[in-house]
Amino acid sequence: MADAITRFFEDLDQQGYEPLLAKISGALRFDLHEGPQTTHWLVRIDRGSIQVSREDMEADTVVGTSPALFEELVTGRENGLAALLRGDMTVTGDARLVVQVDRIFPGSPYARGPQRYRKGVQ
Amino acid sequence: MAPSHTVRILDGNNFVVCEATGDIEATPTEPTGLFSIDTRFLSKWVLTVNGERLNALSYDDLQYYESRFFLVPGLATHYVDAKLSIIRERAVGGSFREHITILNHDEKAVDLDIRMDAGCDFADLFEVKDEILNKKGEIYAEAEPDRLRLGYRRGNFKRETIISSSVPARYDRNGFAYSIHLEPNEQWDTDIDVQTLAVGPGGRDLRFGLQVHGTERLALQHDLEEWIAKAPKVNSEHDKVAATYRKCIVDLAALRFSPLSLGGQTLPAAGLPWFMTMFGRDSILTCLQTLPFTPELSATTLRVLASLQGTRFDDFREEDPGRILHEMRYGESAAFEEQPHSPYYGSVDATPLFVVLLDEYEQWSGDAALVKELEQECRRAFKWIDDYADLVGNGYIWYERRNTDTGLENQCWKDSWDSISYRDGTLPPFPRATCEVQGYAYDAKMRGARLAREFWDDPAYAEQLEREAAALKERFNRDWWVEDGGYYALALDPDGRQCDVLSSNIGHLLWSGIVDDDRAEQIANHLVGPRLFTGWGVRTLAEGEVRYNPIGYHNGTVWPFDTSFCAWGLRRYGFPEEAATIASGILDAARYFDGRLPEAFGGYPREQTKFPVEYPTACSPQAWSTGAPLLLLRTMLGLEPHEGHLAVEPRLPIGMGRIEVLDIPGRWGRVDAFARGRLDLHSLAG
Repeated sequence: MADAITRFFEDLDQQGYEPLLAKISGALRFDLHEGPQTTHWLVRIDRGSIQVSREDMEADTVVGTSPALFEELVTGRENGLAALLRGDMTVTGDARLVVQVDRIFPGSPYARGPQRYRKGVQ
Repeated sequence: MAPSHTVRILDGNNFVVCEATGDIEATPTEPTGLFSIDTRFLSKWVLTVNGERLNALSYDDLQYYESRFFLVPGLATHYVDAKLSIIRERAVGGSFREHITILNHDEKAVDLDIRMDAGCDFADLFEVKDEILNKKGEIYAEAEPDRLRLGYRRGNFKRETIISSSVPARYDRNGFAYSIHLEPNEQWDTDIDVQTLAVGPGGRDLRFGLQVHGTERLALQHDLEEWIAKAPKVNSEHDKVAATYRKCIVDLAALRFSPLSLGGQTLPAAGLPWFMTMFGRDSILTCLQTLPFTPELSATTLRVLASLQGTRFDDFREEDPGRILHEMRYGESAAFEEQPHSPYYGSVDATPLFVVLLDEYEQWSGDAALVKELEQECRRAFKWIDDYADLVGNGYIWYERRNTDTGLENQCWKDSWDSISYRDGTLPPFPRATCEVQGYAYDAKMRGARLAREFWDDPAYAEQLEREAAALKERFNRDWWVEDGGYYALALDPDGRQCDVLSSNIGHLLWSGIVDDDRAEQIANHLVGPRLFTGWGVRTLAEGEVRYNPIGYHNGTVWPFDTSFCAWGLRRYGFPEEAATIASGILDAARYFDGRLPEAFGGYPREQTKFPVEYPTACSPQAWSTGAPLLLLRTMLGLEPHEGHLAVEPRLPIGMGRIEVLDIPGRWGRVDAFARGRLDLHSLAG
């Protein structure tokens, strides 16, 4: 599973700063549950500066989901807020952090985006 | 939507729509119920005494969050013999609470079977007007010794209603009951508590930590009193203006809504009961209307919309980087992506209006910190306007939905399917561009330039925005002017052909400042002329157009919010008499609705109907209708922030008498404004 997820977090850690998170600070822990096993990713955000580790430490927000769904999220094939509303992803603590972090998940690989009009072409 | 004899109470997006007896028996045509987070949590709630339904003697909406029903058993003809009275008092806060009192007026003791039938279909708000036959999940009911649990489960999606009573009751799967004995003149009471739960797999509620204020009745009352005390006071010689104002302030309190992502701060939701959620356009326009009176709503709205600004391309939600959202929903259809509202971004005006509101808010509040805080969001908004909204490549904002299944065809405020047409009545192809949105873009760039110069320390960017705005204005005045009509076209089709109908949108153009000065008088004349002005307000589409219909949703009705922006535009271009004319029309209409203007009313001429005819399915109270009288007051009093002061330049019609607005908040602290009606509008009335 974990290739896409590991890559996502490693990229995030390397990136070091994310302007979309410039207004927030806090620690967010992702608990990815698979059977008896739980993988932890801890994301510390300090006004946009980001540090990622695999510690199981206390956090302001704890997000729980399956590795399978999380992989879909970090590859843009699923939407975080819909997953949250559906109960497929749970949050404890400060929900604002997860709503903000959701924004750095990529868009769908299949999205067309806005299409330039060309006369006679539909 | 809900018929007018139903009773509604609410707190945030928790609300109850019920019959005059307090009962709930939901049907597709009468979508009553207890609702929360866009889900129905009670579809049946029927009180009987000895198996008999009850009849309403009267009910009171005490406050927006509480009501009281006086009932007697039996049919109407039995009233005089009634030996029992039943009082139901209820309030919504974090939960729904009902207090039932039964009084025995007889000289004999009585034994009574009291029963409440309770049930729920857990309909999504988007389903309430349909027969709900095949929910995809499972509905269950569990009677426990001390409570009744009604629930719905679909995968990990779970919603539950938990009902309990302070007096022990017998619970079964369809309700709960009491057997009581009452001596003469004795009374019996119970408190019923109904909790609505949105539970995740860990048993935690989705809305944990979301309460704006305490959920107890006293806390709600205290919050409302504080809200009213904080707002300016309006006194008027004619009581109607002051009464309308007070009604609006209370309704605005009711319409406050705390979204999931903001931890308790509030912004105006769009309307009750079906639009108790965040809408980009509605929330921004309501904030613009209410800035002089309740400025704190603007700061919250800007922050929330910024925090959910688009970051990526998503065709289902029509999200683009920099785009401001259209609508957020929390129900089953959003959760399972049967509807795109998680959130949905299909609107083209919210993005430029976001910048407009930020600038206007700063001019009133002096809140430079927020302008600095939202610099990047404004830059992203401009990038969206320039890079992603210009689908034709000619410098305008266009729309064509990418979600062809559940997305909106028309992504402007007139969002019904047939709102945009040519003069011959046919509908243009996509992409489409509507005129008012180009005005908003112009205004956003002019205002953005001020912000860049004064707060972001970027004069080069300011000049760039001003250059772009000037070019847009020039282009717009060339491409959109309808020569043979003397107004601007409603829209352009992608080949540049004008949708050359006369519409209220031209009033928004005045407000935006995009109108060339030498054309403003022609626009003003249209707005108060017989084709657009009914005597009550400005028609969405002018009489005489092929699609004109006095009760056509966006094709002839009068929308008070729309007229209020037309009035603001008239005032901006130096037509205070014309502004006062249409402003007093709307304020007169408000009297017929006890100060609570509906979403829309019929476009019939005033002299024909003598009273404003409410549009059949209009939502009420609706945020931007509630904001309309406030913006009209601002317009007539000529309230303008000017170099750190509040300028007051009243132009009121004679009939208005004296009006005073006390304690207007802003960067100046609090100041008062006084006005007296001196304008003779008769010269314009014909």
